[in-house]
Amino acid sequence: MSRRIFLASALAAGLIGPVLPAHAQQPDVYRIGAILSMSGSAPHYGTVMSRGALIAIDEINAAGGVDGTKLELAIEDHKSGNTQAAVAGMNRLITVAQSPAVMSSFSGPTVAIAPISKEKEVFVINGGGVSLRMIGVSPYMFHNRSLATDLAAAAVHRAQARGFKRIAQIAGKSEFGDSVIAASYEVAKKLGLEIVAAEQFATDATNIDTQVAKLRASRPDVVLNWPTTPQAGLVVKRVREMGMSQPVISMEWTGEDTKIAGVANSNGVEVATDYFSPTADNAMGQRFYNEYKQRHGEDPDFYAANYYEGVHVIAELIRRAKIKGGNYWNGARLTEALWEDPSFASVYGGKMTFQKNGVALKRVAILEVADGQLKLKEFMAARTE
Amino acid sequence: MDYFYHVLVMFCLYAILATSFNVVIGLAGLFALSHAAFYAIGAYTTAILTTAYGVPVFVAMAIGVVLTAAVGAVAALPALRVGGHYLVVVTLALQVIVIDILRNAQGLTGGPDGISGIPRIVLFGQSLSTPGSFLVLAAIVATAIYFALRLLAVSPFGRALRAMRENELAVQSVGKNVVALKLIAFALSAGTAAIAGSLLAHYIAFVSPQSFSIDETILVLAMIILGGTGNLFGAVVGAFILVLLPEILKFLDLPVGTADLMRNAFYGLMLIVILRFRPEGLFPERYRYTLPAEAEQAAGAFQLTPLANFENGAVTLAGENLHKNFGGIVAANGIDIELRAGLVTGLIGPNGAGKTTAFNLLTGFLTPTSGTITLRGRPITDRRPHRIVHSGVARSFQDLKLFRRMSVLDNVLVAFPNQFGDKLHNVYFRPGAVAAQERANIARALEILEFVGLRERASQEADGLSYAEEKLLVIARLLATEAEVLLLDEPLSGLDPNTLARVLPIVRRLAAQGRTVCLIEHNLDVIREVCDVAAYLDGGRVLTIGRPEELMKDPQLLERYIQ
Amino acid sequence: MDLILQLLANGISNGSQYALLGIGFGLIFGTTGIVHFAYGPVFAASAYVMWWLIAALGLPFPVAVVLGMAFAAGFGVLAYLVIYEPLVERGSPSFVVLVASLGLFIVIANTLAIVFGTDAKTLPDFSYGIYFLGDVVVTGVQIAQVLVFMAVALALSAFLKYGTWGSAIRAVTDNVDMARIVGIDTRKVAIVVFAIGSMISAIAAANLLVREGASTHIGFFAVFYAFIAVVVGGVGSIRGAAIGGLLLGLVESTGMWKLPTEWQSTIAFLVLFVVMLWRPTGLLRGN
Repeated sequence: MSRRIFLASALAAGLIGPVLPAHAQQPDVYRIGAILSMSGSAPHYGTVMSRGALIAIDEINAAGGVDGTKLELAIEDHKSGNTQAAVAGMNRLITVAQSPAVMSSFSGPTVAIAPISKEKEVFVINGGGVSLRMIGVSPYMFHNRSLATDLAAAAVHRAQARGFKRIAQIAGKSEFGDSVIAASYEVAKKLGLEIVAAEQFATDATNIDTQVAKLRASRPDVVLNWPTTPQAGLVVKRVREMGMSQPVISMEWTGEDTKIAGVANSNGVEVATDYFSPTADNAMGQRFYNEYKQRHGEDPDFYAANYYEGVHVIAELIRRAKIKGGNYWNGARLTEALWEDPSFASVYGGKMTFQKNGVALKRVAILEVADGQLKLKEFMAARTE
Repeated sequence: MDYFYHVLVMFCLYAILATSFNVVIGLAGLFALSHAAFYAIGAYTTAILTTAYGVPVFVAMAIGVVLTAAVGAVAALPALRVGGHYLVVVTLALQVIVIDILRNAQGLTGGPDGISGIPRIVLFGQSLSTPGSFLVLAAIVATAIYFALRLLAVSPFGRALRAMRENELAVQSVGKNVVALKLIAFALSAGTAAIAGSLLAHYIAFVSPQSFSIDETILVLAMIILGGTGNLFGAVVGAFILVLLPEILKFLDLPVGTADLMRNAFYGLMLIVILRFRPEGLFPERYRYTLPAEAEQAAGAFQLTPLANFENGAVTLAGENLHKNFGGIVAANGIDIELRAGLVTGLIGPNGAGKTTAFNLLTGFLTPTSGTITLRGRPITDRRPHRIVHSGVARSFQDLKLFRRMSVLDNVLVAFPNQFGDKLHNVYFRPGAVAAQERANIARALEILEFVGLRERASQEADGLSYAEEKLLVIARLLATEAEVLLLDEPLSGLDPNTLARVLPIVRRLAAQGRTVCLIEHNLDVIREVCDVAAYLDGGRVLTIGRPEELMKDPQLLERYIQ
Repeated sequence: MDLILQLLANGISNGSQYALLGIGFGLIFGTTGIVHFAYGPVFAASAYVMWWLIAALGLPFPVAVVLGMAFAAGFGVLAYLVIYEPLVERGSPSFVVLVASLGLFIVIANTLAIVFGTDAKTLPDFSYGIYFLGDVVVTGVQIAQVLVFMAVALALSAFLKYGTWGSAIRAVTDNVDMARIVGIDTRKVAIVVFAIGSMISAIAAANLLVREGASTHIGFFAVFYAFIAVVVGGVGSIRGAAIGGLLLGLVESTGMWKLPTEWQSTIAFLVLFVVMLWRPTGLLRGN
């Protein structure tokens, strides 16, 4: 959906909305739930994700809401991955906020709320968690973040393209790290590359010297750096400090990582990721980028972008479902609306398409960090191994 | 409504966790911080068995409980060696190890991903998939566990646990097996936590390591401290408050983004404020209670249980050539001593002479480096203290070692031998017999207290007694053991003439009824008055033994002792 | 062979940091008997304060460290006076004090995130250079960490031996009641050790700030490792805490020589578990 259509429909909604009599199933406001990591050991995710979502909500509301009805965000906290907290939050969203559409984050909490999503027909869109375990657990659950395994495959292909033979990989000890390491082994084997080291550390560790020492001892050609922010930056900092000059390919890189690794160390790091860049041909991305920068004084990362995108997907689904009439403000109808046309405007530029397994396929880009900025080197076709 | 039901389900689960944790922390006084690990093992066992092996839900839950109880008993091992802060650290380490294994043992536990798709509990053809339906089960289980643990807390077993908390040596001196108490307390507490864990697994249908972190242990600990350690009802109230408080705080309208951080900070602040102004918790443990009326009436005059066959003057307890070295220090250097039925033997000697060491050796609190100890000719050298008490040898301590945060009556009750209720299976499967014996014991305890002059104090806390009363209570506790050999470590020192006049006849009466009595005393006048035999110890051995009058004529001894 | 040497070097460096944290915590714990769990958040808060002084006010690093230490001392003493002292005076069992300090822990960790934001705080491109010893790499920060630890440990033991308060602190550590009988003001001693212990935590915080920056949850590991270092070494012994910390660092690092690194903390805690069963009062005499 292009910006023009979006604006047009918003305009139309603004004109027509007020004159229509209130429908029986028409809520006063569309409350969208969000179960995010607002506190605990990794509260920064919650901070940026909620910012992204709020920008989308404000943007849509400023344009008159969805067909005249405003959106509202109800945030619940899963305390950086606590499943009981996530389930409590989900139940609160259903009972108190009465929200049939929820954005979730982190794999654990997302899997934990899946049975409720299935049972209560709650539409869930996850833009943060990457575990394979989230696939197929609820027919109403979708993911607008590429699977880590797909990204890992892209990174290994990239390593092969650059002529590397000996690969060392490092990851956090999480479902993310595990699935990525497993996937890389598979792809590397297929491509005839050797994995000479695979080290893991506790997800909240700040001390990874031992792991890096073992990486160094394995004398690799390239380091595949799987941790998420901010440990991606930490790995690069340590790798360089330990005198390793090998190229690094990361899966994720945000401004936070540059901050931690230091600008000098970050130079030359490659990033294989589903690509978010507010370039000229990407109006939605640019609009988001500018608003975020203006509000918070820093560049948005792709987590913020995913939740911005998530709100837009939900808004679009409401619009589609409402046209068909009846009691449309529920997860089943929203899901039905999604399958009508699983293609949506992406804040990454172009379209993303939800596949049968519920995961959106976005193109993978190879970026390079230069003076703290991400520069696009090339696009790679999205592939599912 | 689901949200409300969910909160109540969580309250039920935490109530189970808090009451079971309180058995170890509050009753047994073992500060072991690995409760969430047991919670996790219970949850994971049922999760693994039902998802990977298709074991029926209730069978899997039962296996989880048994397995966790076994792990709990293993976790008690450090508690047998260390106490206090050391136990805190060791058990925290255990907690970390368990969670690490859950996180790393991919094949079995699903790793950080956890295990999803755990089947729901089906009861009477109904799948308990909604919070509302699950709440019914959770509430029933929580209530049942609460009453089961309450039964334990007020039983003789629970009393022994509390006595162990108050003083580990003293509880052995009244014949309780500390190792068994600790193992059972841990196993029971762990097994009960596993019930909560298995309920959680089937309720959420998903388990992951994040749900069982140290934070959970700390949260449950906070519930106990807040509600009142040692008080099971308090633990339930603590669980209620700490489950509800964060939910109530959610209704505060706070700025988006920092709202949850503010709530958490506020939560921490509340915790501090409550503890600051009520450190004993909202419902502190009660140490005093009103006696049942029939117990009051049942009490008659105290009579020592007559001994079946005793021969006045026959040797009962004897130590032969007892040596004890601590590193380079020689505490006992060949003690030879024989105690005889019907006689009161006094031990005298300067400080460090080895008098208390002799008691410790004779009662199993120390194992001799060499030498033998016999009771009526049978060797008891390597027996543990509680077994020696069972054989009929009991002792008191110079520093009294009362069970301070227990009632005076409980101090006596705990010491009775052969209590049905000391065995957990009797508490649950023969409650009638336990209750009947308990009534009899209360009556007898009141008789003993009357006999030593503490009847009025029976329902009070032992901590509030005067020094003289404390000494009387020590004697009462010793009498309750029904031992035939009684070793009293300075029972008379520091007593006023009135109390002395009360105690001396008791000692004489014990001897007159065939008991073997041995006491440590410094006052030679007292020795002369009460003892039939006196032994003079110095340098870790018995130098002279004889009738007190004779002993005191020995000028050499007099000179050495009196200077 | 290179690997084990490298792991050894890392172990000594990290162990120094644990040992540094350990002696600060151990001083407070050994002297007052208080499990100062809020030691962690005080450590974290002083890291944030130092960052703020440097990044926002542009103060030079040494000045910021000194101010950060002063802040930590004030904070630690305040925690003692407002929370611990009243509880100890009421004769509360030590685990009530423990839970109260956990409460403080929650308050501080969350307040830091509210005040400073949830992102990591780092000093831009703060570097000490890299040195090669044969095939072993050490960074300037690692060397500094070891040197700082040695300097602080020496200064502390000199203070305890010769300082005005040193003998009083040792007396209280040995036997509180006796110290009180001979007329030592135990309250003042407690205040002094809270101040000194917190200052040591601030020095460790400065190390961390240059190493990898501050984030809101760093406090937990700090206090956990400090606690372990002290208990493994033996409560009441500064040397014990130092040895305990170094040992922890070495085990954690070299233990991974032949093992997958995700078992790192498991191995460290397993060793702790075994040490405690073998020597329940710590490697050195504990009280």
